[in-house]
Amino acid sequence: MRINSKKVIIAATLLAGLVSSSANAAFNVFACEPEYAALTEALAPNAKVYSATSALQDPHQVQARPSLIAKMRQADLVVCAGADLEIGWLPMLQMKASNNKVLSTDTGLFYAAEHIETLDQLTQVDRSMGDVHAKGNPHLHFDPRKFLKVAQALSAKLTELDPSSAAEYQASLAEFTEQWQQAIPRWEEKAQQLKGKKVIAYHSSFRYLFNWLAIEQVADLEPKPGLPPSSSHLAKLVNRGQQGDIMAIVVASYQDERGANWLGERTDLPVVVVPMSVGGNDQSHDLISLYDSVLTILTEVE
Amino acid sequence: MFSSNKRLTAVAIACAFSSSSVFAEDSSLTNPNISAVLDGFYQSGDRGLGGRSEGFGLGETELAISANIDDMFYGKVTAILEVHDGDTEIELEEAFIQTMAMPGGFGIRAGRFLSDIGYLNNQHIHTDSFSDRPAAYRAFMGGHYFDDGVRLTYVAPTDLYWTMGIEAFSGEKMRAEDEHDERDFNSVGVYSAFTKFGGDIGYSSSWQVGLSYLRNENGKTYLEDEHEPHADDDHDDHEGHSHSASYTGENTYIADFVYKWAPNGNYKYQHLTVSGEYFRVSDIFSFEEDHDHEHDLLSTDSDDYHQGWYLSSVYQFSPNWSAGIRYGEVDTFEAHGDHLDPQKLKETELSLAWHYSHFSTVRLQYTNQQGTNFDGFEDDNILTLQYVMTLGAHGAHQF
Repeated sequence: MRINSKKVIIAATLLAGLVSSSANAAFNVFACEPEYAALTEALAPNAKVYSATSALQDPHQVQARPSLIAKMRQADLVVCAGADLEIGWLPMLQMKASNNKVLSTDTGLFYAAEHIETLDQLTQVDRSMGDVHAKGNPHLHFDPRKFLKVAQALSAKLTELDPSSAAEYQASLAEFTEQWQQAIPRWEEKAQQLKGKKVIAYHSSFRYLFNWLAIEQVADLEPKPGLPPSSSHLAKLVNRGQQGDIMAIVVASYQDERGANWLGERTDLPVVVVPMSVGGNDQSHDLISLYDSVLTILTEVE
Repeated sequence: MFSSNKRLTAVAIACAFSSSSVFAEDSSLTNPNISAVLDGFYQSGDRGLGGRSEGFGLGETELAISANIDDMFYGKVTAILEVHDGDTEIELEEAFIQTMAMPGGFGIRAGRFLSDIGYLNNQHIHTDSFSDRPAAYRAFMGGHYFDDGVRLTYVAPTDLYWTMGIEAFSGEKMRAEDEHDERDFNSVGVYSAFTKFGGDIGYSSSWQVGLSYLRNENGKTYLEDEHEPHADDDHDDHEGHSHSASYTGENTYIADFVYKWAPNGNYKYQHLTVSGEYFRVSDIFSFEEDHDHEHDLLSTDSDDYHQGWYLSSVYQFSPNWSAGIRYGEVDTFEAHGDHLDPQKLKETELSLAWHYSHFSTVRLQYTNQQGTNFDGFEDDNILTLQYVMTLGAHGAHQF
């Protein structure tokens, strides 16, 4: 009987261990883009974070594939850029995943664009304008001040959903804010020489970066947003590129370089590939090193 | 089908909705999504098994409205306009509600909707890479199977995608032929169960496999000992315009798979899709019990079944161009008096599509069809020139 009761105690202890470990199971976060995965990792170091896309994938065109449905089914929080960037795939995932926690921004859904003033908002949208969205440009993670606001809002969301870790979230936000506030003047000093420079770029991917650093994008490799560079459109850009005032042709890590290279050869302009997000090149392993790498690439353009 | 007055009203309502949505600031799911799909074609010959016919024509012109009803329910209405023999028909393809906030990974859909069996069936035809559904779908699913009913689904909380579901439908489209209008059909005629698994292989590849079973209480065809062969216009029913399944049986089994590849998972510039499905429809005929010479038939034909399959591969090699190849076969039996005739249709198809943007596609397709004992088409080689274009808020496509 003694042995039996011991067994019972052991079994009960094991069971309690299992129950409590599942109760303390990691907070699951589904990030739509790698920059939001990186931000969530910084703000919630103990969370289990999954990034739906990589910096080599166009976040406008993602397949609502089975693995993403499975990950969203288990998520406590879904963090996305918003402003309709994910309109082509996120609603399908939400419907297929049958996870009622992540359907609404009142609960476990977070759109970064809702917490800042987006650039280029439109009052009227027509398909003949290309694939544009009324809510403004969603590629907002290259404005460090706006991104800090997003970090504050995301930290508040984490605290709201997981109040037991509130102290941890507060400490992480304080640390992130401090790092960010130290980095911003350093970045701005480094980027001084870029002020007023003109570039040709692909899409409005770096709209916020250029806005922040006072770089002017004078032409787009895309004839219209969402349409790939066509040869007739590129031919028109040759003249513009030869006027002697352009610093470089800029493409993001997930964009096709062929159009840029074609134009670069005809205009003698350098083509630079800039990481769109964390993981977009070997140097970009977190948000700070992503910014560092982008600025290094742009300031080293010859 | 609506009368022409009702039809105009439906269009007017849709127009009223769409004009307000243009000015709506917020185009997210909380507002109704309005979309229309335009599909027009020219074809050089008739396709077998209820496919598109020769000449200029319109495919399915689709008008859809969808929105979250509240935080619990989502709803969608899809009307299909088709022109046949000079008549414009309106058919409701979808009119369903879907729960969004059920706990535990469960979901319920009720109303009229596309069944989730197989791979292609739950996808809208305008998303296909070929102008018609594979012959197996045209033979056994009436092109694509949608019906009035209810579905319960469950998604497991696992890293490997695993979903399963059960459905019950009225099954009117799936009823066996009833020449003399004398059969007592079950009012809930079709039950189905399905499961799907899926995942990724590295960054570049994704896959899904599915198994489905469909039980059709009204699917068995009762044969009588008729000494006259069936009139020829029976075949016209099969080959002509019909949304009903041409060949039915009591049990249908479907196995399907899809594999997609894109470099680094970036679908924008190039991607490859390989998919295939196999259908087996069994218990297809029954014989009048009290008949004298039934055993002749029974002994030879009781194990007969219909089957069909296809294998398709589509490569989008630039944002503007994609090319596809598809091969499919259908083997069926047709009852002719006191004997069964085996039939076979083989289709080889090549398609080349130009996509100016996400919303417009122009397709050139070559089809070679080889029929054994199939009536209703004369040309083996068919060229189709088709456009498919989408207006308005365009819902996401499924994997």
